[in-house]
Amino acid sequence: MTLEPADIPLLEVKNLGLRYLSASSPAPILHDVSFELGRGEILGIIGESGAGKSTLGNAIIGLLAPEFQRTTGTIQFDGKAVGAADDSGSSNVRGRRISAIFQDHTASLDPLMSVGAQLEETILATNETLSRRDARARALELMARVGIPEPDRRYRDYPHQFSGGQRQRVVIAIALAGSPDIIIADEPTSALDATVQKQILGLLRNLVEETHVSIILVTHDMGVISEIADRVLVMRNGRVVEQGVTSTILEAPRNAYTRGLLAAVPRLRISKPVPEKKTGRARTAPSSDCDHKSPTVTAEGVSKAFSPQGLHWRPHQGTIGFALRDVNIQIARGAITGIVGESGSGKTTIGRIVAGLDTAPAGKVTIGDNAFDVSQNGRRTGLLGRVQMIFQDPAVSLNPRMTIAETLRESIRFGAGLAPGEERPDMMAMMDRLGLARSLGDRHPHQLSGGQKQRVAIARALLARPEIVIADEPTSALDVSVQAEIVQLLKESITERNISMIFISHDLALVQDLCSAVYIFRDGRVEDSGPSDFIFSQSRNPYTRSLIDARPHRFTH
Amino acid sequence: MKAEIIRVLGKPPYGPTLTLSKIVLAAYVLLALAAPAIAPQNPYDPLQIYGWEASSPPGTTGSGGYIYLLGTDGLGRDIVSSILYGLRISLLVSITSAAIAALIGLTAGVSAAYFGKWVDVAIMRLVDLQLSLPTILVALIAIVTLGPGIDRIILALIIAQWATYARVVRGVALSETGKSYIDAARLMRLPTSRIIFRHLLPNSIAPAVTLIPIEVGHAVALEATLSFLGLGVPIDKPSLGATVANGFQYLLTGQYWISLFPGLALVGLIASINLVGEDVRRRLDPRSRSI
Repeated sequence: MTLEPADIPLLEVKNLGLRYLSASSPAPILHDVSFELGRGEILGIIGESGAGKSTLGNAIIGLLAPEFQRTTGTIQFDGKAVGAADDSGSSNVRGRRISAIFQDHTASLDPLMSVGAQLEETILATNETLSRRDARARALELMARVGIPEPDRRYRDYPHQFSGGQRQRVVIAIALAGSPDIIIADEPTSALDATVQKQILGLLRNLVEETHVSIILVTHDMGVISEIADRVLVMRNGRVVEQGVTSTILEAPRNAYTRGLLAAVPRLRISKPVPEKKTGRARTAPSSDCDHKSPTVTAEGVSKAFSPQGLHWRPHQGTIGFALRDVNIQIARGAITGIVGESGSGKTTIGRIVAGLDTAPAGKVTIGDNAFDVSQNGRRTGLLGRVQMIFQDPAVSLNPRMTIAETLRESIRFGAGLAPGEERPDMMAMMDRLGLARSLGDRHPHQLSGGQKQRVAIARALLARPEIVIADEPTSALDVSVQAEIVQLLKESITERNISMIFISHDLALVQDLCSAVYIFRDGRVEDSGPSDFIFSQSRNPYTRSLIDARPHRFTH
Repeated sequence: MKAEIIRVLGKPPYGPTLTLSKIVLAAYVLLALAAPAIAPQNPYDPLQIYGWEASSPPGTTGSGGYIYLLGTDGLGRDIVSSILYGLRISLLVSITSAAIAALIGLTAGVSAAYFGKWVDVAIMRLVDLQLSLPTILVALIAIVTLGPGIDRIILALIIAQWATYARVVRGVALSETGKSYIDAARLMRLPTSRIIFRHLLPNSIAPAVTLIPIEVGHAVALEATLSFLGLGVPIDKPSLGATVANGFQYLLTGQYWISLFPGLALVGLIASINLVGEDVRRRLDPRSRSI
């Protein structure tokens, strides 16, 4: 670190306490938070949702809503106190010397302004003495700096013409416009795919090395922290539970909560040669047996074009692109098969087609001995309902107006076909099995935590007594410490019922942990496939390799 | 000063204005319900009307032994009683039509969103057609086609109003349809009617329900307009609007009270419904809660 011994720290937060003045009762948000940030340092702030990490970031930058009230402590920036509620000078400090990058790169940019104009505007706002011509030159320089190819040509392009990763680069360029001392990056890569995430983190690291800017990186992802942070602040319920140098925290965490967070991160094993499967997973077929086992689900030749948006009297002329191109997959009976891919790879689409929720103009799905036409004409052939799904975001997968018991009873009555009034034993047994207190039955979804909601979603899927379950990113909307529990529960309850499962995920380590076979999707095609052990240790497919390499190294062994 | 203007004009009613409109509206409803008990005269009963006392000015003592506080109309009917009975008709027509229009509009909008494709196209083009014509014109065409009568005017008002609900609810239902709890319901093979009425409708209904009080206000005004044009309720059972229309021809001869007082009653009714309706909307609609 470049912090000179004699220097006072660039940013010093001392005993900061904040509370939220709501209508009912003032709720404390931050307790006694203290830390220092040196010049050219990357400080990671990690915690789960509700830990107060974003509020802390906003307090430093001075973007807190008026309902937040500082109860204790000080924030010193470059030796001067900032961030007090009555401090009118803070906006000056904010724009020029502390800037911010937010998670949602789409919302951070004005869709009706070219990126060049947005950059220029920010540059002029932070430095009034510059001429337009100089501002433009500086904008081009910044675009090149953040790695946007051909800045001259892209200058007049609008945000929608850029990919997600490039948009986030533009946001970073805007944050750099005022040559800030500190950049507060709030989940800067959470909305990006793994390979892009790695590039953006690399860019941030380079910026720090070359310009000595300091970065406060707010995230929930241990992987991101391990990649670039110099020091870490672990937060929980508004308190700092542990802070220190990243490698120390990762290797020897002292706090139990930090240990839990670290243990919850799935780790990728790429050691070759592959050892024999351990006992206790006897039902999982050894890789070589996979092909001999009769597949319970197959999808053959499934192709689907992106449907044109809006209403058209006639089918759209000309094809825009393919969501799926001639996809063939086989799901072994009683096993868990993984489908991995980045966003837009078609992994969710194939899941929805197999479940009968979506149609495809070409292709066939076979379940057991029954073949189903997945085209529009075949909608009534009864594919819908053979497969149950567990969806990504439990916040929207449960009807907010129905109680938990009503939701589960509906599944038993309509999904499994039991007569009304006979649902109770099934429901109670399932709630007990999934660790849901029976008293939750009378609650509505908004009264449950994310993990509880996802348990209800699993219960709903299993109570319909399906042969096949498709889980579409079932943990990515959950906090890290809950993810492991949910995955474990899902795995156990699937195997003990001898149900086959398709597990759709972007997380390689999770898929490796759960699945006996893997399909890797890319741009609507099956890019690579095979037994899990083979894919992760021996596959020579360059795309598969790049996915594995994109994993933070600390969580790969 | 600027803040003051925004406070008065830019925000929904609150404080004394809102309290007053709540009291006024409650009084209207009570008066309408109690009309047969408290009205000095039943204006629908020819035996209680004294034709020779037509167009008496306010304050005249009538043959029935009571004072015509607001005078009588050209047929000798007591204006106070006409207002009380007219209120009943106005409220009956507007509340019934707004409720039924809401029911039809909600079902149509949710169905359009859920089924999509040609169902959506058919319903929403009908809505577009409807909303591209002035409401009064739609109601006029309907009433001319259907003929007179209280049931007919209710029908006409329903035809004129359902489209607003359908459009509002479709947008919400469309985003709800995309949520995975609807997918989950489809995977359970729930009957379509159950998906629509048990899952989709309850979650899409809120913004449209907030429209109902405001639409009741519209319906009162619309009915009054139709009646004023002589196309509304039958002449022997006048609503407020019809009562105003009855006195219109006497305005030039100085008998202002026949139109003026029912007109004021009408203005008070519509204003109080709109103000209270706006408050209800503000309370129910989460999107405007922070304003």
